[in-house]
Amino acid sequence: ALGSAADAKTLRLSHNNPPDHPLHIAMQLMADRAEELTDGDLKIRIYPNGQLGNQRESMELVQNCSLDMAKSNTSELEAFYPEYAAFNLPFLFESEEHFWSIINGDIGAEVLTGSVDNGFRGISYLTEGARSFYASKPINSPADLQGMKIRVQPSPSAIRMVELLGGNPTPIAWGELYSALQQGVVDGAENNPTALTTGRHGEVAKFFSLDEHTMVPSVVVISNCAWDGLSDDEKAALDTAAKESMSFQRDQWQGIVDETFAQAEADMGVTVVEVDKAPFIEAVAPMIEETAATSPEIADLISRIQAAAN
Amino acid sequence: MKRILEGIQVTVIVSVFVVLVGCVSWQVITRYALGVPSTVTDEIARFLFIWLALIGGAYTYGQGRHLAIDVIPMMMTGRARLIIEACITLLVASFALFVMIWGGYQLVSRTLDAGQISPSLQIPMGLVYLAIPFAGVVILAYAVVALIELARGRLPMQLINDAPPVE
Amino acid sequence: MNWAVIILFASFGVLMVVGVPIAFSIGISAALTFLLFMSFDQSVFVIAQQMASGLDSFTLLAIPFFILAGNIMNRGGLAMRLVNLAQVIGGRLPGALAHVNVIANMMFGSISGSAVASAAAVGGVMAPLQRKAGYDPSFSAAVNIASSPTGLLIPPSTTFIVYSLITGGTSISALFVAGYLPGILMGVALMTVAAIIAKKRGYPLAPKPSWREIAITARDAILPLGLIVVVMGGIVFGVFTATEASAAAVLYSLFLALAVYREIGLRDLPKIVLESAVTTTIVLFMIGASMGMSRAMAFGDIPYSISDLLLGMSDNPLIILLVINIALLVVGTFMDMTPALLIFTPIFLPVVQSLGMDPVHFGIMMTMNLCIGVCTPPVGSVLFIGCSVGKVPIGSVIKPMMPFYAVLIVLLLVVTYVPEISLFLPQLILNY
Ligand code: NA
Ligand code: NA
Repeated sequence: ALGSAADAKTLRLSHNNPPDHPLHIAMQLMADRAEELTDGDLKIRIYPNGQLGNQRESMELVQNCSLDMAKSNTSELEAFYPEYAAFNLPFLFESEEHFWSIINGDIGAEVLTGSVDNGFRGISYLTEGARSFYASKPINSPADLQGMKIRVQPSPSAIRMVELLGGNPTPIAWGELYSALQQGVVDGAENNPTALTTGRHGEVAKFFSLDEHTMVPSVVVISNCAWDGLSDDEKAALDTAAKESMSFQRDQWQGIVDETFAQAEADMGVTVVEVDKAPFIEAVAPMIEETAATSPEIADLISRIQAAAN
Repeated sequence: MKRILEGIQVTVIVSVFVVLVGCVSWQVITRYALGVPSTVTDEIARFLFIWLALIGGAYTYGQGRHLAIDVIPMMMTGRARLIIEACITLLVASFALFVMIWGGYQLVSRTLDAGQISPSLQIPMGLVYLAIPFAGVVILAYAVVALIELARGRLPMQLINDAPPVE
Repeated sequence: MNWAVIILFASFGVLMVVGVPIAFSIGISAALTFLLFMSFDQSVFVIAQQMASGLDSFTLLAIPFFILAGNIMNRGGLAMRLVNLAQVIGGRLPGALAHVNVIANMMFGSISGSAVASAAAVGGVMAPLQRKAGYDPSFSAAVNIASSPTGLLIPPSTTFIVYSLITGGTSISALFVAGYLPGILMGVALMTVAAIIAKKRGYPLAPKPSWREIAITARDAILPLGLIVVVMGGIVFGVFTATEASAAAVLYSLFLALAVYREIGLRDLPKIVLESAVTTTIVLFMIGASMGMSRAMAFGDIPYSISDLLLGMSDNPLIILLVINIALLVVGTFMDMTPALLIFTPIFLPVVQSLGMDPVHFGIMMTMNLCIGVCTPPVGSVLFIGCSVGKVPIGSVIKPMMPFYAVLIVLLLVVTYVPEISLFLPQLILNY
């Protein structure tokens, strides 16, 4: 790396997905476009699989300027910029269109740049669709979750949500989840549909119940140091590349979900269940007020997101 | 004085270990007996574990028990042995000072400033990371004592200990 | 030319050979490598972060627990009862006591995750018996040394927990179940060699035990062996995760030692806990520093450089695996198992995965390879402890070790090239 051209910048981007993951492909597209738009002056080198650290570690390195860029989902980002908590609220987004209008609009842009005082800024949202429950039985209503041990990510909102729905939130490491599901250490989990195939969870959880409680996006962030080191042209190029990868990822995602369900149904015998969301929405409603109570900024953000729904 | 300090370390290490066993057992019990899994034991256990590893690691250094290939130092005698041991101790001391204390201090202050909190217990992550500079100070203290001994021409206790290897 | 490779390995090599504790050698060379890419302050920040954050894993908690359980079993009279049972099983084979030693190590290994603890506990009991029966002490020590690492393959095994962590979550249950066949094969291979040597030398058989003796020893060993049911049954049937199983192992062995056998009392516990904590932190401190090093390697593209080098040598997977095995055997001569695993897994795993090798199979191959390393000079923890409990100089066991090294290397190649040995059981039991 020492012998490379003096004025070409290489930014390091860390994320925790494998290189064949749709998010990696979207970020690679961003890297290629940024290089193209700057005639090779700006390169982005992507480190997949958490080689440079998990999401939290990478964010800490970004804050310290030891790393230029990272991808993290808003569950983990909540700890670094509390406003992201709004994105983790169940059923705050009424539909995918609502979700897209927010992250593509002023509110989304405001949140991305809002974290500058915390040492970093977001440059794009990458959607991973809606998260739902999956288990060895269909979950048609919160009553079905009663007493079930549901694996959650170690995030306060995920834990609270499962509690309100009547389940028992159980934090278990991703790597142990497959065997935990298989052996009944937990009765179910919640994730986006690709967990069925990429994590092979469809082999051990045969019902995917489409309650679509949250749409937790991933955010690509860049450290203040790296951003300030870019020329105006490079900033513009990176921004364009990031936005292009964002719409590319959106266009890809539905196809990926359809393909995932087709594969899970055909190869693994998974049944995808449509559910009535109303009782779920009702059960988790207190969360919105609880989260709004944490700060006036978040309260404002939540009410603006709600106002944009119709 | 040294005995009191070591006594405190030993007490802390043993207590943390016992609490850890308690935490993990509690996690299983809550899941089966009570049917309600605990969401905090996982985090308590992980954070205690980090502290155990780091303060235990510092204590272990003081006992001269970290794994090392001591073929070359063992071959030397007299002044040469003292010099090579002093070099090794200086390297360990610089690691403690620069990486653990200075790097750890930056890590703690950055995460405290940024207000990063843990998901379950909602405590500042800076408190978890405080284990690094803390262990660094203990290691540095052990190293300085060892250097003083070496300067007086004596091999410090921890180098005389015959460290049994581990697997 | 990749400068990161040179700086990292040169500084690490020099520091380690000079005698700087390995954990600190790892940390210092990682910090120096980071200086290629970032400022001093940023570089020490990353290492400091990794020393804490690298340990932030619920899975790793199993390590102190299994070590503590092993120590309790050792002091609390469980080990002795297993040796007695081994005596009944292996007593009628040529070179009886050698087989007893191997079987006892396998059984001890099946309830604890430590080769050193096994070499000390079993060797400590067996060495005087073998000396009295006219066995060459160097031969006895060699048998004990070669067979105590079987416990690293036969689950539970802290080695597999470390491997799971560095590979980003390879299933611990699968690794545990995969370790049975290779571990048992290793024991059987060693017993075969021992039998041939013993027959040549005319070592005596043990007197035939009476049915009554058999019944009594079997009854005494039932409770310690029950731990296998608690731990492995618990994991395989989904009662708990590996970490929770390790806590159960502590409680179970504590119950036996304190309430059933009463060979230790509550007042002995602080000492046992402290000893376990020291042993544990030696490993954990190294893991924390190694996490820093593996980040430095990733920053410096070191895994890519080495994988390019290997894949450039040949496109034949058989040859690449052979080269990796030879490299690891060399590494194993001077490096202990944990640091070797921590440093070389991230380098070799991407290579073998690109050849289509399963990470569980690779974990077994690597562990078995490094099992040989812990028995070889100049640095081999099991070699050292085995010689010390056998009261023989290290120089004198090298010759009797030769046939054992040879059979272990042959078995290593078989395990490398026949994935079914590792993967058959996990596929059968866990549908892996
Ligand atoms: Na074992
Ligand atoms: Na060795």
